[in-house]
Amino acid sequence: MATPAISIRNLTKVFPIPFKRERVVAVKNLSLDVEPGQVYGLLGPNGSGKSTTMKIVLGLIPPTAGTTQIFGRDSSMVDSREDVGFLPENPYFYKYLTGYETLLFYGKICGIRGAALRDRAEDLLKLVSLENARDRRLGGYSKGMLQRIGLAQALIQEPRLLVLDEPTAGVDPAGSREIRDLILNFKARGITILLCSHLLGQVQEICDRIGILHRGDLVREGRLEDLISIENQTELILENTSPELLGEIQALVTKSNARIVENRKPQTTLERFFLDVTGGKS
Amino acid sequence: MNTLPSKTKHRIFSPSRVSAIAGNTLLELVRLKVFYFLLLFALLIIGTAGFTSVFDFKIQEQFQMLKDMSLGAMSIFTLLLSILATAMMLPKDIEDRTLYTILAKPVPRFEYLMGKLVGVFMLLLVSTLVMSAMFALALYAKQQVVIGESVHGLTPSQVLEVTADIKAHAFTFSLVPGIVAIYLKAALFAALTMLISTFATSSIFTIFIAFTAYFIGSVEGIAREYWYASPTSGQLAKIFLALVALFFPDLQLFNLVDDIVAGNAIPTALFLKTVGLGLAYTGVYSFVAYVIFSFKEL
Amino acid sequence: MKKAYAAALAIMALFGFVKMGFEQQLTEEHRASFFHGAKLNLDMRQQLGQLGFLAALSGFRSVVADLLWFQAHTAWERTEWGRMALLFNNVTALEPRNTMFWDMAAWHMGYNASIAARNNRKQPREALRIKAQREYFKVAEDFLLRGIQNNPDRYKLYDSLANLYRDKFQDHLKASEYFAKAAQFENSPTYEKRMAAYELSYCPDREQEAYEMLVKFYKMGENEHLPTLLTRLKFLQEKLNIPADQRVYNPPDK
Repeated sequence: MATPAISIRNLTKVFPIPFKRERVVAVKNLSLDVEPGQVYGLLGPNGSGKSTTMKIVLGLIPPTAGTTQIFGRDSSMVDSREDVGFLPENPYFYKYLTGYETLLFYGKICGIRGAALRDRAEDLLKLVSLENARDRRLGGYSKGMLQRIGLAQALIQEPRLLVLDEPTAGVDPAGSREIRDLILNFKARGITILLCSHLLGQVQEICDRIGILHRGDLVREGRLEDLISIENQTELILENTSPELLGEIQALVTKSNARIVENRKPQTTLERFFLDVTGGKS
Repeated sequence: MNTLPSKTKHRIFSPSRVSAIAGNTLLELVRLKVFYFLLLFALLIIGTAGFTSVFDFKIQEQFQMLKDMSLGAMSIFTLLLSILATAMMLPKDIEDRTLYTILAKPVPRFEYLMGKLVGVFMLLLVSTLVMSAMFALALYAKQQVVIGESVHGLTPSQVLEVTADIKAHAFTFSLVPGIVAIYLKAALFAALTMLISTFATSSIFTIFIAFTAYFIGSVEGIAREYWYASPTSGQLAKIFLALVALFFPDLQLFNLVDDIVAGNAIPTALFLKTVGLGLAYTGVYSFVAYVIFSFKEL
Repeated sequence: MKKAYAAALAIMALFGFVKMGFEQQLTEEHRASFFHGAKLNLDMRQQLGQLGFLAALSGFRSVVADLLWFQAHTAWERTEWGRMALLFNNVTALEPRNTMFWDMAAWHMGYNASIAARNNRKQPREALRIKAQREYFKVAEDFLLRGIQNNPDRYKLYDSLANLYRDKFQDHLKASEYFAKAAQFENSPTYEKRMAAYELSYCPDREQEAYEMLVKFYKMGENEHLPTLLTRLKFLQEKLNIPADQRVYNPPDK
């Protein structure tokens, strides 16, 4: 059995409130695994413990109890982060650096040098469609461009795991779609992704598995398909049906114990409609 | 896409990681145009040089005022630079979430802090060197003007004597230890400001505490001597003096320029001890900053 | 986090214990090297003002001193002698190791303020004008004596005091004494010893001693045969009735 990309066991995090005797329990006895190659969605309302869990996995804060591992290595150790790329929510980076310089900087701190680093930076800029903005300072980047350069820096050292916190927050639909497509690209290449997002529609499109946190508890966890499919219902989408055929199907259903819950025309998504109208340009 | 060469074993300490962060820190500060203050410095020394020659000051007075003003300005500028540049660093990186992207890479926290500090030290070094060069140039220019004005109608041997006397008042290498002490004081304050910023709640609070520490450090020597010399002081006063003497640096020990400009050469042993003290303070403050930062929940 | 703060305080306190002793030792060495005497007291604070006092405490003593010196210079241009003396006191208190301040303060008092007092037409009584002049001589002397106290290792103030005694007090004995003290320093000008001998030659009981000193200089060669030396030598040869065959200097007959 492959080592999980992320392994969380009995994780608890308690924050004391200064000058008060009360404490905030941000995460309660959480256990979950993220298998290699999966896209895992960690969901929950604000204050549910998603960010805290993420930060503990990244070694930014210590747990009160429990353990977290990245590919079998204790995630509080610095060397575990060789396999991790992280994109925080609403990052700004160093606005006086150009896109190219930003990637060179992150590459250097990951120990990459010389021509290998320069080539890698060029490739990543192409991948995230920022080659035309390579020499522009980050202070002049749009929100979508910042997210894409953020993705590029997260990938600079070819990590096996990507942790993305709200990667499309504040980005327009076209830009959001590009980022979603990039994530799918990473998934196709076998990179494991831990994704936190409030945009459930996107999560639904990308994730294989999800965990829902609520007030520090993991209230639901499992394969997306299994969780959201309505057990006792079946969906059939038909094309070019005649009214007679529809009548026959209705009669068959009435004869059995089943019932037709809804009979309507399927809808496209608002996102698809928007992109079609605007030509899909960001 | 090109793939990278196979990964090497993680190094516990990597000078190249530190230098990457230091270089980036210096680049950011340079692009923030902090060096414009050097223009102000240049204007100040040109102004002082011109000002003193307008009034009927003697040659010795003119050179002394130029030296005092220039070195005083150098002291102020390097101190301001060290405190202001360092105070914003950590809070800004946290606010922009840049810190998370760096520490999420295989970068130990102490390397991050070290890189930031080294970047500021490099900025201070460049600033001090440029200001020293401007200062030396101003003194040389004044020296040449004064020599030109003073040698009319003198015999060759008198010219030699007068020229030697004027040159003795201009730039001499005895000023270098004083300038080194100015740099050390600024570096010490950069480390202290970094320490304060690891637990401070805002940049303004950090700046305020750093400047307060500067003023207290200026009188620490007096507090220390009173603590040593006054066995009969009240308990509260004793405790207060002890705390000041214990936790604050004696900044008067780094004010070597006053004596140098007055014509006193600094004994080498004294200078080396001052350098050692400055390095010790900088090292201890940096280490304590690391201790607090390593436990900080981000 | 509490552990981190506790550790930080402990490290700072430990370092503090170690560095306190070292700093005290270094301060003593500074004093031994530079005779640090600048103590900023309350009077200073009132005279400098809050900002000036704070600036002086914060390591900008020399800048504050220069600004006060500039004020003294403007006071001189306006012949405000009393204000000048006050400012000079503050400047020398701020920078006791700067001999230029002591020297210039004494020069202004002894050579400028004194003359102004002597020529003060607002004072009709000459006796009082002379008294005021002499008081300025005393002020100048006081500056130089205090300056020497703070700078016993520098020749300049001894030289200036000797000149003051010679020019203003006509006290040749003291002038000689201080020229001799100035001559003891390696970097003092060569004329100091000669000046000591000249001044001694004006002291009634010390003429023989002065004569021997001047003879030594004469025997050093042509370079020492300066007009003043020859004049004083001739005077002493006659005053002391040195036999003709023992005289080192025989001026040509006119």
